[in-house]
Amino acid sequence: MSSDNKQQVHWLRRITIGRNPRVTLVRAVILGVLTVIVFKTTLYPVRVRGGSMLPNYRDGRINFIYRLAYLSHEPRRGDVVGVGFAGPSIMLLKRVVGLPGETIGFSKGFVVVNGTPLPEPYLKWKSNWERDPVQLGPDEFFVVGDNRTMPIENHTFGIAQRKRILGKTLL
Amino acid sequence: MKIIIRLCLLAVIAAIGFWLWTVFFPSAESVIKKQLSTVAALLSFNSKEEQLAKIANVEDLAGYFANDVEIIVDTPVQARHSISGREDLRQILLGARMTLTALSVEFMDATVTFAPGGTEATVSLTASAQVGGDRDPLVQEAKFTLRKIEGRWIIVRIETVRTLT
Repeated sequence: MSSDNKQQVHWLRRITIGRNPRVTLVRAVILGVLTVIVFKTTLYPVRVRGGSMLPNYRDGRINFIYRLAYLSHEPRRGDVVGVGFAGPSIMLLKRVVGLPGETIGFSKGFVVVNGTPLPEPYLKWKSNWERDPVQLGPDEFFVVGDNRTMPIENHTFGIAQRKRILGKTLL
Repeated sequence: MKIIIRLCLLAVIAAIGFWLWTVFFPSAESVIKKQLSTVAALLSFNSKEEQLAKIANVEDLAGYFANDVEIIVDTPVQARHSISGREDLRQILLGARMTLTALSVEFMDATVTFAPGGTEATVSLTASAQVGGDRDPLVQEAKFTLRKIEGRWIIVRIETVRTLT
């Protein structure tokens, strides 16, 4: 009986604080510090709100913005990026369709880059958006959501300064 | 081992000392950020707010703004328009409290920049407003200009910033 109790205490202790509490404490502190560092500097956890990126990014889904994605290269066409407001607490999730120096417009629902319609295999639904072309500056990207079935005036999209692009989605 | 414990204790005491210093002698930046948090709290209200409390809170709130405050709103959904003066602002705030059932305002990612002389500051921030009944919050980037008048930081101008142009 006594031996059973001893065994049970030992098992519980192993589950809760490990064989060596000091080592467990050190591990927990290191893990905690690493988690804070990673989620503050490298991976921003985000929850998708709204339907502007449907059907590829559903409302309520969790994702991560990878901050280091653009250390070695600039954002590419087709990338889904996090565009920051005044900081990283809230950001817009949008797809890059226009690169610096290009002319971007919408015609019959298609994105038109320098006068040529852009193939967008990731789009599932058709739209009828029309918008006059705009010329992007040397540090500007054109971003837009995937759900273009919503009225153009209800959709947040446009030119994003490079400094506002915080990173690329991980998932 | 004793030395390590003593060093740890010293570090803890130093950290507590630093924290107490910031509590009793806050920097201008901390004062401004704390003040903006108070403004956000005063802007927020719920359906249970009494009539007198509504008026009192709006009066409190108006005290954070200059007499000649200018608020410029220019967003993709609203054409550019402005609110000039504290009295106009007071009426709008009171009207909002009478019309909406609830509002929860939060200011995030505030970055404070001081003009030379240290009596004027610009704060860039993201404002999030959740209107009672609405599922998604309204998010807007804004720039606040504050001026130090008689020892207090007063909001003299608010201008919305377009995140995407």
